[in-house]
Amino acid sequence: MKLTEEEKAFIWLCSCTDTDYRTRVLLLQAAKNPANLWRNPEKFFREVINGRENRVYNIDRVSRERDLNAVLLAAEERGYFFVSLLSDDYPTELKEISAPPLLLFGAGNRELLGREKFCIVGSRLTPPWAEKQARAVSEALSERFVIVTGLAEGGDSAAIAGALESGNLICVLPNGLNVCYPAGQLSVKERVRKKGLLLSEYPFDEPLKRFYFHARNRILAGLAKGTLVVSAGERSGALITANYTADYGRDLYAFPYNLGVSQGAGCNALIKKGAYLATGADDIFLGFGIRPREKKQEDVTEEEARVLALLREEGELHVAVIAERTGIAIYAVTAVLSALEMKNLAAKAGGNRYCAI
Amino acid sequence: MIAKIVCYALNGLEGVPVEVETDVNKGVPAYEMVGLPDTAVKESKERVRSALKNSGMLFPMNKITINFAPADIKKEGASFDLAIAVSLLKASEQLLGADVGGTVFLGELALNGDLRPVNGLLPILISAKGQGFTKFVIPAANAQEARFMGGAEIYPATSLAEVVKHLVGTEPIPPLETAEYVVSAGGNGSADLKFVKGQPMARRALEIAVAGGHNLLMVGPPGTGKTMIARCLPTVMPDLSFEEALEITKIHSVAGVLGEEGIVNSRPFRTPHHTATTVSMCGGGNRIVHPGEISLAHGGVLFLDELPEYKRSTLEALRQPLEDGKITVSRAGGTFTFPARFMLCASMNPCPCGNYGSANLVCNCTPSEIRRYRKKVSGPLLDRIDLQVEVDNITYDALTSSELQESSAAVKERADAARNIQRNRFEGYGIHTNAEMGEREITAFCALSEEGDKILRAAFEKMKLSARARARIIKVARTIADLDASENVLPKHVYEAVSYRIYDKM
Repeated sequence: MKLTEEEKAFIWLCSCTDTDYRTRVLLLQAAKNPANLWRNPEKFFREVINGRENRVYNIDRVSRERDLNAVLLAAEERGYFFVSLLSDDYPTELKEISAPPLLLFGAGNRELLGREKFCIVGSRLTPPWAEKQARAVSEALSERFVIVTGLAEGGDSAAIAGALESGNLICVLPNGLNVCYPAGQLSVKERVRKKGLLLSEYPFDEPLKRFYFHARNRILAGLAKGTLVVSAGERSGALITANYTADYGRDLYAFPYNLGVSQGAGCNALIKKGAYLATGADDIFLGFGIRPREKKQEDVTEEEARVLALLREEGELHVAVIAERTGIAIYAVTAVLSALEMKNLAAKAGGNRYCAI
Repeated sequence: MIAKIVCYALNGLEGVPVEVETDVNKGVPAYEMVGLPDTAVKESKERVRSALKNSGMLFPMNKITINFAPADIKKEGASFDLAIAVSLLKASEQLLGADVGGTVFLGELALNGDLRPVNGLLPILISAKGQGFTKFVIPAANAQEARFMGGAEIYPATSLAEVVKHLVGTEPIPPLETAEYVVSAGGNGSADLKFVKGQPMARRALEIAVAGGHNLLMVGPPGTGKTMIARCLPTVMPDLSFEEALEITKIHSVAGVLGEEGIVNSRPFRTPHHTATTVSMCGGGNRIVHPGEISLAHGGVLFLDELPEYKRSTLEALRQPLEDGKITVSRAGGTFTFPARFMLCASMNPCPCGNYGSANLVCNCTPSEIRRYRKKVSGPLLDRIDLQVEVDNITYDALTSSELQESSAAVKERADAARNIQRNRFEGYGIHTNAEMGEREITAFCALSEEGDKILRAAFEKMKLSARARARIIKVARTIADLDASENVLPKHVYEAVSYRIYDKM
C-alpha cells in the first residue's frame, strides 16, 4: 500500500494514538497540513494537548513508524481498507455533517461509498409484520439505493435481509471491524462483508462501548440521503439516528403504528413531529421523485383475492375472524393464508393473526 | 424327596420359566438357596418360614436345598415366594396326592400366610400360555388383570392355606371366569373438546394429528388452554382394540402402574414433569429394567408441558424412539426392548415472558433471549413434530361458528373415517397411519401434482427446510387429503400442511 504522508497522519492519529475526536480535530487544525503532523507530531501534541489535559504521549519517531506498520500489516492481512477525509471516495454526504469521521475503516465493496444511500433502522424489538414489511421495503429500495443500516437484530436485520441479495448494503459498526456485536450475528456480518460493505470509525480491535452507538448513529444518518425508521419504542436507539437525520436536514420516514403498541410509539412520535409517513417503498421513491416501478400482477385465486381484500381493508386479523367474514372454513383459510404468505402478499403477525403486505 | 415347581421370572416384557427344585435331606438343619437368587429372593426364607407356620404347616427341620433352574439368569423380586413354599411342602411330603406338575405358582407371601400381588403378572401369563402352561395359581389381588386372558385355568388365592386346600382337593378354588373386554370412552369425562373455548386452529391441528398419527406442538402464551386441549387428545383417538389393550396392559403391569380395572381400556395419557430424567423417560434401572414414560405412553399420548424446560439430553433421547416406535435399553443385566409407539404432544411459550405474538400484551424479550429460549428445543426434535400450531388468547365472543364448540365425538368420527382410509390403503404394508410412511409409501401414495410440487419447492427455499421436514409436510398433506376424502393430494392440502410448520417460518 502506497500512502502519502497525509494519509499516514490520519491512519496513525486515528488508530495508534489514545486521543478523542476533539483532540484529533484540534491537532489537525494546529498542523494546517496533516503531513506536518506526521513529520513533527511532538510539537503539535505539546501545543494542543498540554493546554487541555495533563497527559504525556510517547510519540518518538521509531515507535510511530512501528505502530503504523503494524496497523497497515493487519489491514493487508484481512483485506481492510482506509477511507480518510482526504480520500477521493470519501462520501460527500458524510462530509457535510458537523462532525464527520476523520477516518473510516472498511471491509468489502468499496465502490458502494460513491453511490446514493438510504438508511433503514429499527429497534431490536420489531414486531414480525414490521420486519417483513421492512424487508420488502429494503429489497425494493436496494434496486436504486445502497441501504445503510446497523448489524443488530430486529429492524436492522430485516433491512439486511432485504438488501443483502443485491449487494447494495452498507453496515456501520459501533466497534472495530474484528469485533462482532451482537455475537450471534457473526455469520450475517461475514455475508455483508462478502456481498456488501462493512464500515467502522474505530480501530480493528476496538471493543464496543455504550456511547459508540451514539457516534455510530451519526454516521448512519450522515451517509444517507434519508432515513426510514421501521420500529422504535419511546426511548429507542433508532430515534437517535432519526434525530441526526433531522439535524442534517435529510428526509425522515417512519412506519405508522397502532396506538398502544409500545414498539412503535417512537415512530408515531416522529410522524407527529413532521416525519413522512411511509407505508411502503413507493412513498420513499416518490419523495425522491423516482417513479415507482409497476407492481407485477400477482397470480391469485378468487378465494385468495377475497382474503387479501379483507386484510387490506381491516389490517391485522385473526384467522377465525377472517374465516367468519369471508365464509371460508377455518382450515381452508389457513391454506389460503399460507399461499398468500408464500406469494409475499401477507405476513404472519403472531398469535394466529395475519396482515397484508 | 425332590419337588419341582414352575414359577416365572420377568425379563423385560417376557416371562421366563424358572423351576424351583427343593430337596429335603436328613442332616443338620440348614437352608441353602442356589441358582443366582438376589437379596429379595434369599429373604424369602423368613417369609416362607413364618407363612408356613402361620398357615398350620410345618417348616421341615432338615437340610433343605433349593435350586432355581436355569441357574444362569438372575432371579429377582418376591414373586417366587409361593413357588418356594409349595415346593417345600411337596418335598417335605405335606402335599401328598396333590398334582402340582403343570401348574405355575406366582405370588409374594406375607408372614401370616396371605398372598400379596406381584408386578408384571399379565406378561408372565401370556408368555407361559404360549409355552404350553394352562394352570396358574395367582394372588387374588391380581385377579382383575388376569381375567382378560382366556384359554387357561387361573386360580386366584388369598392365602397359602387356601392354596394348600386347593391342591390337596379339600376345598378347590373355582377357576377365574374370563371377562369380556369393554372399551372405555376414554378420559374421565371432564376432558372433551366441547369444553374448549374457541381455538379453531388448535382444534384442526389436533384432528389432523389424530387422523394421521402425527406429533403436535402447541405454542402459546400461558393460560390459553394448551394443557386442556392436550387432555382432549385421548378422547379423539380411535378406540383401543383388545390386542392393543393387552399390549399396553403388559407394559403397565410390568411397571406396576395398572389401575383397578386390571386392563388398560382407554388410551394412556402420560404427563411426565419437566424434571424427569432420561432414565425415567426411556426406561432403565439397576438390574431389573423398568419401562419408562415413553413406553407407558405406548398406544397413547406423551404430553410434554413446557417443552424447553425439559433437560436437553432427555429430549434428545426421544428422537430415536419417535422414529422407530420402540426403545432398546441396555444394562449390565441385559438388553431389553420396550414398545414405544406414542403420539408426542408438546406445549411451550413463544418466548420467556410468554407474550410474543399476543394481541393485547407486549413482549419485552429481546431477540437473543427468544432465540436462546427456542434453542433449548433442538432442530432435529422439532423436525419430527409435524404439526406446530399457535394457541392464542383471543376472545371468541363475537364469533358464532359452530366449529368452535364441536364435541370430541364429532371430531373422532371424522378422524376415524380418515384412519379407515389409511388402513385400507396400507393393507399389506405393515403400517397403519400416514405418519409411519417411509420413502417407499410416500412415492406410492403421495404423488403431488405439478402445482403441488411447485408449492413445496417454493416453501422449501423460503423456509430452508430439511429433507426430513419435506417428507413430513407431504405426510401431513396426505392426512389432510384423507380427512377431505380426496384421492389425490391437492395444492390446498399442501398449503395447509406448510402452514403448520410455524417454527421454520419464525
